[in-house]
Amino acid sequence: MTGGPLGVLASVYRGEQQIDFPRLWKRALIGSLLAVLASLGSFLVRGVDLGIEFEGGTSWEVPAPGVSVAEARDALRGTGAADGKIQTVGGDTIRVRSDIEGPEAVDGVRSALADLAGVTGNDVSVTTVGPSWGAEVTSKARNALIAFFALIAVYIAMRLEWKMAVGALLAVIHDIVVSVGFYSVFQFEITPATVIAFLTIMGYSLYDTIVVYDKVREVVGRVSATGRYTYTEMMNLSLNQVLMRSVNTSITSMIPVASMLVIGSFVLGAVTLQEFAIALLVGIVAGTYSSLFVAAAVVARMKEREPAYVEIAERVRQRGGAAGGGTRMVATDDAVLGEAAAAKRSATARRSGPAPRAAAGSAQGAIPPRPRKKKKR
Amino acid sequence: MRRKLVYVVGIVAVAVAGVVYTLVAGNEPLLGLDLQGGASVVLEPTRVAEPEELDVAVEIIRNRVDGLGVAEPEISTQGDNILVQLPGVDEQQRALDLVGQTAELRFRPVLSVVAESSLEGADADETLLDLFAFSEGDVAAGADVVLPQYDDDRDIAFRYQLGPTAVAGDGLEGAVAQFHSFIGWHVAPTFKPGAEGIDLFNEVSRRCHSRAPSCPTGQVAIELDNEVVSAPTVQADNALFEPFERSGITISGGFSEQEARDVALVLDYGALPVELEAQQSQIVSASLGTDALSAGSLAGLIGLGLVSVYLLTYYRLLGLVAIASLGLSGAMLWAIIAWLGETQGLALTLAGVTGLIVAIGVSVDSNIVYFEHLKEDVRSGRTLRSAVDRAFPVAFSTIVKADFASLIAAAVLYFLTVGQVRGFALYLGLATILDLVATYFFMGPLIGLMSRSSGLYAHPGRFGIPAKMAGAQQPGATT
Repeated sequence: MTGGPLGVLASVYRGEQQIDFPRLWKRALIGSLLAVLASLGSFLVRGVDLGIEFEGGTSWEVPAPGVSVAEARDALRGTGAADGKIQTVGGDTIRVRSDIEGPEAVDGVRSALADLAGVTGNDVSVTTVGPSWGAEVTSKARNALIAFFALIAVYIAMRLEWKMAVGALLAVIHDIVVSVGFYSVFQFEITPATVIAFLTIMGYSLYDTIVVYDKVREVVGRVSATGRYTYTEMMNLSLNQVLMRSVNTSITSMIPVASMLVIGSFVLGAVTLQEFAIALLVGIVAGTYSSLFVAAAVVARMKEREPAYVEIAERVRQRGGAAGGGTRMVATDDAVLGEAAAAKRSATARRSGPAPRAAAGSAQGAIPPRPRKKKKR
Repeated sequence: MRRKLVYVVGIVAVAVAGVVYTLVAGNEPLLGLDLQGGASVVLEPTRVAEPEELDVAVEIIRNRVDGLGVAEPEISTQGDNILVQLPGVDEQQRALDLVGQTAELRFRPVLSVVAESSLEGADADETLLDLFAFSEGDVAAGADVVLPQYDDDRDIAFRYQLGPTAVAGDGLEGAVAQFHSFIGWHVAPTFKPGAEGIDLFNEVSRRCHSRAPSCPTGQVAIELDNEVVSAPTVQADNALFEPFERSGITISGGFSEQEARDVALVLDYGALPVELEAQQSQIVSASLGTDALSAGSLAGLIGLGLVSVYLLTYYRLLGLVAIASLGLSGAMLWAIIAWLGETQGLALTLAGVTGLIVAIGVSVDSNIVYFEHLKEDVRSGRTLRSAVDRAFPVAFSTIVKADFASLIAAAVLYFLTVGQVRGFALYLGLATILDLVATYFFMGPLIGLMSRSSGLYAHPGRFGIPAKMAGAQQPGATT
């Protein structure tokens, strides 16, 4: 049962694995900084490939198995769209983008594509966007984003605390920057579908961060009564406790998205699904990572500046702190202090041998678990 | 204990009732046009329009769409824009053209005509060019204007200098497309009786027939949306009738059958009160739509299947509860989506489906948060039963906090953005609320009930809690 990679997995499953998160934060900081810088750099140098919805123009899509981009370009000569952007998406769909105007011109391209693919005009999908519309959509999205950030910041500050609001927003911004950077590096087209995916990433990242923070608050509420642990140490305990939740949630969130990517793009050639799925996958990974590493690190850093925690850190350091440079783990008994501790101690005392070392600061009286009744209806 | 039972039975009853109602009422989710093919257009007024004008425009567009025979059109205003969605429509481009057409009909006396060919080339007369420079913008009904007439290839054929409007489209009662063996397909408008309609037309006919100074050419131009459709010379009337006491006319402009029908359709329902410009139009082919639908459904099913397997493997019986909880909120969601589609005309779009897929993740997470709390408590020495009682309020408070963030996001996106994003936000918000309901009334109480069952109490392994962990407090049990 023990030893080897299976043993590690098994101990993770039982929640016994202790990971030194604060130690990883430093590496994560470097990694995140590099990723953010690379994203920003790519964004500035290469920019992003904005779809017609933002810039105006027309796009056509037609299922045309075996038709090459060059053939499509030849077929479009004379329609005005031959020098537009022509690409193959999702395996066998030809997508053409051009800024020619007028219903006749648009229809001309449509029938040329239909002839090329050997289908009727009704099998060609067409999207036309006026230039001012794109600007309107963009400005509305920007306003929505600002309102969203403001509301969420107020909400987190009210329900949790303002330092956590800062951490959560930083984590979300980190995720969005990295996701946009991903799109910039690979020059994937940004469509409304992508924007929705980015919004999802934001929502998901926030959701994840709040779950982590709530755990932190719960643990800190219990453990800080001992007055013996720094905020970082308590944060470390919380992250270890919430780790399996994060891993499992990421896996179960990723499964539907991954199946959307695989089924959507490789099996059925549904282009829109593929676009959704790529952005979502990047976002889920980034969101889980940032809650554990960015959001947590930011709050720990800020909280350690508070006088109360500065004092504790000072005491811990004088006593020798953690040996070996790693983060000191919170003792198991202290970890369950508070109203849980008393119950736990009495329960263990009755069931098995020696009672654990008495810990100070028990909050409520001992309520032993009710004896089991044979039948309770 | 009893309350838990009431909750579980109650919520299951609600879900079953919802599904039964949906089946009995025959409600089905209304699919957005990106899932079944169709056409959509966002129309924006070219000038600032009053809300009443937009309402009238929506009404007229709805009539036109009904005239086309589109099954479930959705026509609504969003801010200053009019959003027209025509799922499943066949001739998509034609439908979009018809919907957005202003259909401003005017009859004007022709002051002079010049063929486009005579204005081309090096010897073109400058003064003539000046005289026949096209009028710009929305041409006032009362002014003299210069308007083009196009040939079949949409090239300008003639330029007309026209006098003030004699009769406008509001003088019409209706219009039909007709076929005549001599003139082919044509449109036969019916004028309103008396001074509102036919009298005005007869007055201009009389003027033109007598070649009065205000109509020197003897032609009456029929102008539709700032284009001359045709400009017939007024003939002396049939001798059997009083001169120029017609009750109706025909408009022949070399129409094909479809053109004639379209013109008749737009004239029949009148002109839009304000000119509209297409800001965004989308045509989704039926095959692309159904592909996306089947891919989305298949991906959703496979994804759900894999998630179920994972949950069962990891959490055993708890996983089963999670799957049941997911199924429960799914059933309620289906009933609501079908109801929204049936009664509110709210369609489920691909963006909405994405919102739902994301919501699967959020719903499953609510379960995981609770389960991990349970395991944590058992690890720190609680019995399963006391852990169940203690962990749920803590976990639920976390779930509420996190779900509220999702709800805020959904609300902001729904109210502040346009288009696809709204659909996404709506279904994400809906699914999040149902997740809270299912967690509070179903998942929590059910696990509470299960923890009372003696068979389970003795075998925490069935809850996905390793026996080793449950007994971790025994000395020597851990290494």
